Amino acid sequence: MDGNGVTFCIDVRHLGKVFHRDDKAVVALRGFDLEVQDGEFVCLLGPSGCGKTTVLRIVAGLERTTSGRVFVHRKPVKGSGGDRGMVFQEFALFPWRSVRKNIEFGLEMKGMSEAERAKISSDLIDLVGLKGFEDAHPSELSGGMKQRVGIARALANNPEVLLMDEPFGALDAQTRNLMQKELLRIWSATKKTILFVTHSVDEAVFLADRIVVMTARPGKVREIIQVDLPRPRDRTGADFIGVRGKVLEELDEEFEKARAKEMSPE
Amino acid sequence: MDLNARARTLLTKLVSLVWTWRHLIISILSLAAFIEIWALYSAWLRGDSPFEFRHWVQTAEYFPYPWTVFHAFIDSFTVPDPFSGLYMTDHIYASLKRISIAFFLSFVTAVPLGLLLGRSKTAESISNPLVELFRPIPPLAWVPIFLVIFRFFWGPILIVFLGIFFPLLLNVRLGARSVDPMLVDASRTLGASRIQIFEKVIFPYSVPYMMTGIKVGLGIGWMCIVAAEMLGAVGGGVGRYIFATNGVMRYDLMYAGMVTIGLLSVLTTGVAGLIERRVYKWMGME
Repeated sequence: MDGNGVTFCIDVRHLGKVFHRDDKAVVALRGFDLEVQDGEFVCLLGPSGCGKTTVLRIVAGLERTTSGRVFVHRKPVKGSGGDRGMVFQEFALFPWRSVRKNIEFGLEMKGMSEAERAKISSDLIDLVGLKGFEDAHPSELSGGMKQRVGIARALANNPEVLLMDEPFGALDAQTRNLMQKELLRIWSATKKTILFVTHSVDEAVFLADRIVVMTARPGKVREIIQVDLPRPRDRTGADFIGVRGKVLEELDEEFEKARAKEMSPE
Repeated sequence: MDLNARARTLLTKLVSLVWTWRHLIISILSLAAFIEIWALYSAWLRGDSPFEFRHWVQTAEYFPYPWTVFHAFIDSFTVPDPFSGLYMTDHIYASLKRISIAFFLSFVTAVPLGLLLGRSKTAESISNPLVELFRPIPPLAWVPIFLVIFRFFWGPILIVFLGIFFPLLLNVRLGARSVDPMLVDASRTLGASRIQIFEKVIFPYSVPYMMTGIKVGLGIGWMCIVAAEMLGAVGGGVGRYIFATNGVMRYDLMYAGMVTIGLLSVLTTGVAGLIERRVYKWMGME
């Protein structure tokens, strides 16, 4: 279907999305294209309201497309499914389930036996560093730990893709930096393809192989910036700051546009 | 230690004991005050009081002394009642059975229906006019027709059923409506089917609402029991007891029946509360 024989893990073509609120139509996305390779870490960055979360939700199958097509491993996306794990900003853990039971949720849905589930969840609890908290409930955990559960839960189904919607947005700065490092460790251990939405330039430059800077609404790709810095990246290094500056410059113009649009009467 | 110091430590201990149990003590005092006012009123009606009022003496029989009612309550367990020859235990058993069956019926209908109505706009549009039309009708109004149609076994049960059904339905519906949409999204991305979302997300989320509905419903169920058993019920019942003792002007027994209903309601609400705490503990939501 590609013509040139290359298949991408995530392939988004001319994606358009229109929301209808009351009787007003809001064009969230128009002509958004994205190709993500296997095992790649891609950050979606853009001014708020640019539709980056919408892209993620469409890839996850939680929203329908208005136009365009989305493929994950050559299969067109039709509804949600366990092959695309999602991590939410507000964690979205089931408060009545223990850490272990939260992680096992997807496996339970598949009808997997208890013994098999326990084996997978134990491995994941080790991977995300939650040993000793298996039987705790979400209300007993800190924000960072909650998101560790969120990541483990999304990984339990062994998805091809991990979709992360500002996963560290609700955490304090220190926890956030720690979780970014943890995520890179988990990523290199699991070799998942990650599509990561953020509005933090610093976070994007620290994490991503490529940064997709989106335009203000209606969202499409403004610029794709390759980040070739070796990991672990030093946030204070000259080359890190250089990339950061380049991304900020792109983004600033879009912020301005978004603001101008907000101010002008429609 | 001299006597004075010992008395002082004892007093300190007593004060701290009273302070620890102050809420219980206040509750007991409140109940005692109520009984005292009742006793004073009964005495006043009988001219048996420091005040010189005697002209309502003929209504005194409606207001027996609290201790008379207490004795009537105790006796009702050992002396057969004057209208059917049954003991209070038989009436309690009959009413508890009625409430239990009515509760079971409301539970198995109101919970699934409430979950459905809370999640489906279409189901809600279909049911809403009917629910809003039938909900405010007092179960008492259904008594004559229910007894004709369903007779003296199912009739009273179904009247109590109505009392429990609506509060349970509305609370479960509210619970299903309030489900955090993010949890539904999360379960979808984890591969849950529609039925699994109902079973594993919407139902557990609604459980605290359901428990509220159960407690409110049981209270209303007991309120309906007199109406339900008013004209007769198979095997008696505490409501039947109240109505029949009133008929033979044994007001001491009538009040004993009323006290019994109050105690039974406290009992069932207590059991519901215990179950609620168990459920929350099991769900990790303490």
